[in-house]
Amino acid sequence: MDFSVLQLTAEQEQFAKEVQAFLDDIVTDEVHERELETGDGFSATVHLALGERGWLYPTWPVEHGGAGLDAVSARILDLELHRRQVPDITAGTTALVWSAVERYLDSAEVDTMRLDVARGHVRFCLGYTEPDGGSDIAAAKVRAVRDGDEWVLNGSKIFTTGAQSCQYTFLITRTDPTLPKHKGMTMFLVPLDAPGVEIQGIRAFSGERTNIVYYSDARISDKFRLGAVNAGWAVLHGPLDAEHSIGGEESGLDDISVGRSFLRVLERALDAAVDWTAAAVRPDGTKVADDRSALQRIGRVATDLEAGIRTPGPLGRVAGSEALVRGSADLVDLVGIEALVSLGDRAGSELGAVEYGHRFAQGTATYGGTVEVFRNIISQHVLGLPQMNYPGRKVFLAPGRSDAMAAAR
Amino acid sequence: MDRWELRRQDYSLDSDQEDVREAFSEFFAKESPSSVVRAAEPLGYDAALWEKLVGMGVTTMSLPAALGGDDATLVELVLVAEELGRNASPVPLISHVVSVRLLAAVGADRAVLDAAAAGLPPVALALAPLTGTSPALVPDAAIANDVIALSGEELVLFRSAEPAPFIANHGSTPLGRWDPAAASGRIVLASGPAAVSAFERALGDWKLLTAAALIGLTQIALDTAVEFAKTRETMGVPIGSLQGVAFPLADVAIGVTGARNLIWRAAWMSEYEPQARPELIAMAYANAARVATRGTTTSAHMQGGLGFTIEADASLYFLRAKGWSVLAGDPNLDLVGIGAGLVVAAG
Repeated sequence: MDFSVLQLTAEQEQFAKEVQAFLDDIVTDEVHERELETGDGFSATVHLALGERGWLYPTWPVEHGGAGLDAVSARILDLELHRRQVPDITAGTTALVWSAVERYLDSAEVDTMRLDVARGHVRFCLGYTEPDGGSDIAAAKVRAVRDGDEWVLNGSKIFTTGAQSCQYTFLITRTDPTLPKHKGMTMFLVPLDAPGVEIQGIRAFSGERTNIVYYSDARISDKFRLGAVNAGWAVLHGPLDAEHSIGGEESGLDDISVGRSFLRVLERALDAAVDWTAAAVRPDGTKVADDRSALQRIGRVATDLEAGIRTPGPLGRVAGSEALVRGSADLVDLVGIEALVSLGDRAGSELGAVEYGHRFAQGTATYGGTVEVFRNIISQHVLGLPQMNYPGRKVFLAPGRSDAMAAAR
Repeated sequence: MDRWELRRQDYSLDSDQEDVREAFSEFFAKESPSSVVRAAEPLGYDAALWEKLVGMGVTTMSLPAALGGDDATLVELVLVAEELGRNASPVPLISHVVSVRLLAAVGADRAVLDAAAAGLPPVALALAPLTGTSPALVPDAAIANDVIALSGEELVLFRSAEPAPFIANHGSTPLGRWDPAAASGRIVLASGPAAVSAFERALGDWKLLTAAALIGLTQIALDTAVEFAKTRETMGVPIGSLQGVAFPLADVAIGVTGARNLIWRAAWMSEYEPQARPELIAMAYANAARVATRGTTTSAHMQGGLGFTIEADASLYFLRAKGWSVLAGDPNLDLVGIGAGLVVAAG
């Protein structure tokens, strides 16, 4: 057990200064203004500048486009990017997908693509969810039909966040509807500029942009298939487990909670609300700082925040989201009417963090699988409770071989 | 507070800590099964068990080597306290260890310290400062002749010929209606600001160890409920496969896991950097109190009517979760204190 302040070497001190100076230059007000306007979760200028320095994958070797950083230096960089609120959604999805691409794409393609990914020119988004499928990824219906050396795609995916900023989507498709649902799927890395692919933006009330992506007779080469035909579920599982934080290693440096990034939003809201409380006077002349109910509310939010940060893995995913959902609503109540003023109308005030936090919080209960999906994971993998045998788990999505299969069983 | 400070986040136990945890886990599991816990009711004290525990060196382990101890830190103590909680053991470990640490911290007379460290009978700590000379409800005073209390500006060891009269209570702990006026001896341990700060430090230790015991209690309550949910069937399926049962239990697991790490972090900081984040103790304690209340309630409820019966071990855990966590007053006051500290720091 060790929670001590890290003692940096001279090189690490120097590196921290370099990071500061570099980010001072590239993470400008304009970057944040643009993000507020577009909700892209991505800044091309910052992403490419980081890529140029090998800082998108800082621990990768230099020859692979990384910077060969040690774990401490990588942590310094990571914290600084978070501190400056660099839009990072697309960087995150790209990193998740790369592990599968590296493993399953043809090795010559991988070698060409690796440097482009590291430099930031090639980016990936997740093509999992369908408009009528929700968190049940294995219910995917987007069809992929083979035609010689090509595949023809038809259907639509929703919540393909970042598609407008990416070159490829990591797409799960149905290649054999006559097989049980987890078995008839194939993964592809689909070029988003292929004819027949259409991206349509959707805005969330947090301000974030996501997309619905339509595939209408879109044709892609078989070289973009990842893994064997009908073995897509296994290909998907690496990135999905990483996203759900199953089986990860603990470094002793990194945050242990998957919900840590949600809690940074709560930290900003709490700090703003605490600053407000220290100075605010109510219309009746009393100081908010003298009101014990206000202090208790702050104490509760700060405690939930601290417990959330300390809750590991998928448990922390739920704890983080729910601390933010509860806490941000509490902080809006604490501040009252002033907390409701929209971001654009509150020049210079930090209280926007409270109002934003309350809007942003709601999406966190769904990102990467709903908190209910995670409670299922915890019930089965942490507590060892039996899994419910839902009829949809082994459903056949189309008639065909199902009768023969049933007979064979 | 600098939220961007570059600190390690290492929650692993070293081999010595693992050994401590394992030794006390085995001890309590063997010596304190629920039959022993029940046999000790309603007083909540098993003198023979306490004697064996004292024999393991638990009352001196956290004293400095110069005073006959093993230099164990608060981190090791919270590991021990969690194991105590996991077995709902009827021994005054927490108040006694905290009292002995307090005696050492104020430089009490060696004879007084050695007698206390010997552990027989145990020493109790009044968790609230005395108001005049009125009798007060003091945890473990029903089995202790010596009670340490903050009286005005003085920290005093009160000695009596007999323990205070036992008051039966919700959590079956040795609560006594203790009367400082009836004490036959009075040793002033410290006075002025030193007395107050030593008392507050001891109260912080008590809250940390109690938080750990509450989490042990909640963990065993959860484990019991999970076993029940795996085997009890309804409509042809195990009830644990139903989300209405599984999800509340998952929430208990989330609460317990985070609470444990928060306690470890608070114990570590309290030991090595007590000035850096003083609010962590109150956070760990208020959080554990809530997690324990909810967790033992859920765990009992998931066993339906059976969980409501005295025969079910769930009842032991449920009653003690509240019975232990309110001994130092309303945990919400800790939240008020946390809020006040943050606002003052910002102002």
